[in-house]
Amino acid sequence: MLRILLGSQQTGLILVILLLGVVLSVFAGYHVDRATGDLVNNFLNSRTLMQTATDASFFVIMAVGATMVIISGGIDLSVGSIYALSGVMTAMVLRSVAPDSPVAVVLLAVLVCVSLGLLCGLLNGVMVVGLRVHPFIVTLGTMWVFRGTAFVISEAESILVPQSLTDAIKLSFGSDALYPMPMIIMLLITAAGAVYLSRTVMGRHIFAVGGNLEASRYAGLRIDRILVGVYVVSGLTAGIAALVGSSYYGSASCADATGYELYVIASAVVGGASLRGGRGSAVNAMLGAMLIVLIRQSIRTLHLDQNYEWVVIGCAIIIAVVLDQVNRRLTARKLAGAG
Amino acid sequence: MDHNTPDAYIAFDRVTKRFPGVTALDEVTFGIEAGTCHAVVGENGAGKSTLGRILTGIYGMDGGRIRVDGQPVQFYEPRDALDLGIGMVHQELAFCENLSVAENLCLGALPGGGGFVSDRRMEARARQMLEAVEADLDVGTPIGDLPVAQQQLVQIAAALGSGARVIVFDEPASSLSHVEAERLRAHIRRLKAKGVTSIYISHDLDEIFRLCDAVTVLRDGRHVATRPVADLDRATLINLMIGRTFEAYFPSHVETEPGDEMLSVDRLASPGKFDNVSFSVRSGEVLALAGLVGAGRTEVLQAVFGLDPIAAGQIRVQGRPVSIRHPIDAMRRGIGLVPEDRKRFGLVLSLRVEQNIGLPTLDRRSGFGWIRGKREEDLAREYVKRLSVRPDDVRYETAGLSGGNQQKVVLAKWLAARCPVLLIDEPTRGVDVGAKSEMHALIDQLAHEGTAIVLVSSELPEVLNLSTRILVLRSGRIAGELSREEADQGAVMRMMAGV
Repeated sequence: MLRILLGSQQTGLILVILLLGVVLSVFAGYHVDRATGDLVNNFLNSRTLMQTATDASFFVIMAVGATMVIISGGIDLSVGSIYALSGVMTAMVLRSVAPDSPVAVVLLAVLVCVSLGLLCGLLNGVMVVGLRVHPFIVTLGTMWVFRGTAFVISEAESILVPQSLTDAIKLSFGSDALYPMPMIIMLLITAAGAVYLSRTVMGRHIFAVGGNLEASRYAGLRIDRILVGVYVVSGLTAGIAALVGSSYYGSASCADATGYELYVIASAVVGGASLRGGRGSAVNAMLGAMLIVLIRQSIRTLHLDQNYEWVVIGCAIIIAVVLDQVNRRLTARKLAGAG
Repeated sequence: MDHNTPDAYIAFDRVTKRFPGVTALDEVTFGIEAGTCHAVVGENGAGKSTLGRILTGIYGMDGGRIRVDGQPVQFYEPRDALDLGIGMVHQELAFCENLSVAENLCLGALPGGGGFVSDRRMEARARQMLEAVEADLDVGTPIGDLPVAQQQLVQIAAALGSGARVIVFDEPASSLSHVEAERLRAHIRRLKAKGVTSIYISHDLDEIFRLCDAVTVLRDGRHVATRPVADLDRATLINLMIGRTFEAYFPSHVETEPGDEMLSVDRLASPGKFDNVSFSVRSGEVLALAGLVGAGRTEVLQAVFGLDPIAAGQIRVQGRPVSIRHPIDAMRRGIGLVPEDRKRFGLVLSLRVEQNIGLPTLDRRSGFGWIRGKREEDLAREYVKRLSVRPDDVRYETAGLSGGNQQKVVLAKWLAARCPVLLIDEPTRGVDVGAKSEMHALIDQLAHEGTAIVLVSSELPEVLNLSTRILVLRSGRIAGELSREEADQGAVMRMMAGV
């Protein structure tokens, strides 16, 4: 049992995250809370932890969709731009329609933002399948097209979203001014993604197509539909992330989420997804994103030179993937030994 | 009998190779005489390919010694073996498919100077190397564009060109047609005349009797026997390979009374592949499609299964005309295709056995898009048991199974779909003797239970023993039909070759 636990990649990631958490708590130092006069750990306090989770939530939501694309053997570089476009357009629609009741604001925002994400994803999927161009190229193109469109329609301005939307996402359940909604949405999306991948026919078909396209064709799978489907889901999650993000920050701009696509792909890959297709998991992608965000956080908490942030993250990603491969090879050997 | 005579040209002395969890070779000791063609046979997993790979420096040894021409040798990589004149023609050809024949042949030492490649000298050298195997090829062609048989010649040329005096052939004929395989054998005989020693790893007993001088039998990584081929007959060799007496190579055929017509194909045509192909198959019948590689057999099956979008013609299932444009249409009418090349078309190796078995019917057996895990597992378990797939754990990753067991999983997949019409393409390619005979018994039994079967196989004995009728294709057209009674090896061969 212990060996199974240690061999599983999920446990490995969780252990690394916990270890990093412990190291951070030990080295973070303390400060005195002005209101209560208590000594508070600079990392291990509810506000910092919640902030870290919130930072992670935007990546994680998108990483769930991106993982499905990667499992199918494709890649989606346009998620950051879909985020920006759906955020900006939703903010503009809300500005011009300006519904009176807060409920109507929230409903309209959800409807517009989510359907825009879906549409962008659909466009990606239809082009990948219909034009038979590699998804890297298609989504590299739409990455610029979507962001450019956001730039043009917003005239490069940051657009405020109605306060009622921000109030909705900053619902605080306790008295401590913590905002757990982004984290809750992240957990729900991850759970939904995990169930979709492991329990539904569509999910299984994604693994099959990514594992062996030809064999899937011979098994009578509707390849085109399955492939369009993963890009739609990826667009959908980008739309949801945009909704959560722009509501949380109170505004949307065409420069939002620049470079997120790479964080998102990195999260999936650190979570063990194989860029060759056929392998990956939503929960592990979430853990991967958490790890990356935590590494970023540790540079701030430990007062390291922030200029090295990218260098550190880049190295961490490579190390994580190498370790994962070593681990997988060891497991394979163990399996061969048992068989 | 001690075959490890000191004068043996290549002497294996207690050669041992362990892989995690398995001993692939266990103190294997035997000798190979210079200038002979020496066969190495055994079931899948017996260690034949491992032996070849050790001799060519691809794998290291965990114990024992190899002597070549009396000298102990130690190989760390393929180059070390090549330096001593030992080359290999691989089962799966190892080329850079995007590069030309000349570039591939000279890849180890591209001629030129100052970092530049001289195309002219490279091509001249390549032509010279190809002369050694009497191959007339355009050295500028990308190697991926050549048929497999010609790629093999290039590989032989590459080995000879780098000075090989010993060539290890690993299942070279498994992807060749009869005519091509015969041509390859002629090449090997010519090599022998030039004093080159060939080590021929194979499943195919016919080939060994036709080609080789001596044969070494391995079983479960152990050396069983090394004997001159002249001292052996088929039955003895099979017994040595499987280690028990084998009743017969084929199951005793049970004559089944054919039932209703299940599938009929009328004037099926696909431009460039085949034309005017008509046949019908009844319940309980096994209709074999025989023909040389390239005669269009696989293509006909693909068209019937909806994998050829431009195929035209009339297909009827149980008398009713149907339109089949996609594999789903075929499956709805109860047609299944067990494809050739299980790794490419048959299986998703990264999925578990149960997931592969359930794949074609996942949609049908799900409830509103949700997988019923228990039901999937039970179904897989039923067929794993029926086909005695080993290991019988349905949660095993398919990539970890041996070739024969993977082939059984492909078949299980389509049995689980309960198709009354099964199109089966090369069901026993690259599987060992035991699995082969199980596969034959299974096909026979399926027909007996009323399945209508269309079988494509390059192995004539298989075709002759399993089929009710044989339809021979030649260059995409029907060359003739033979009943079970009229068919013998000679008649079918003549019809296939058109003489």
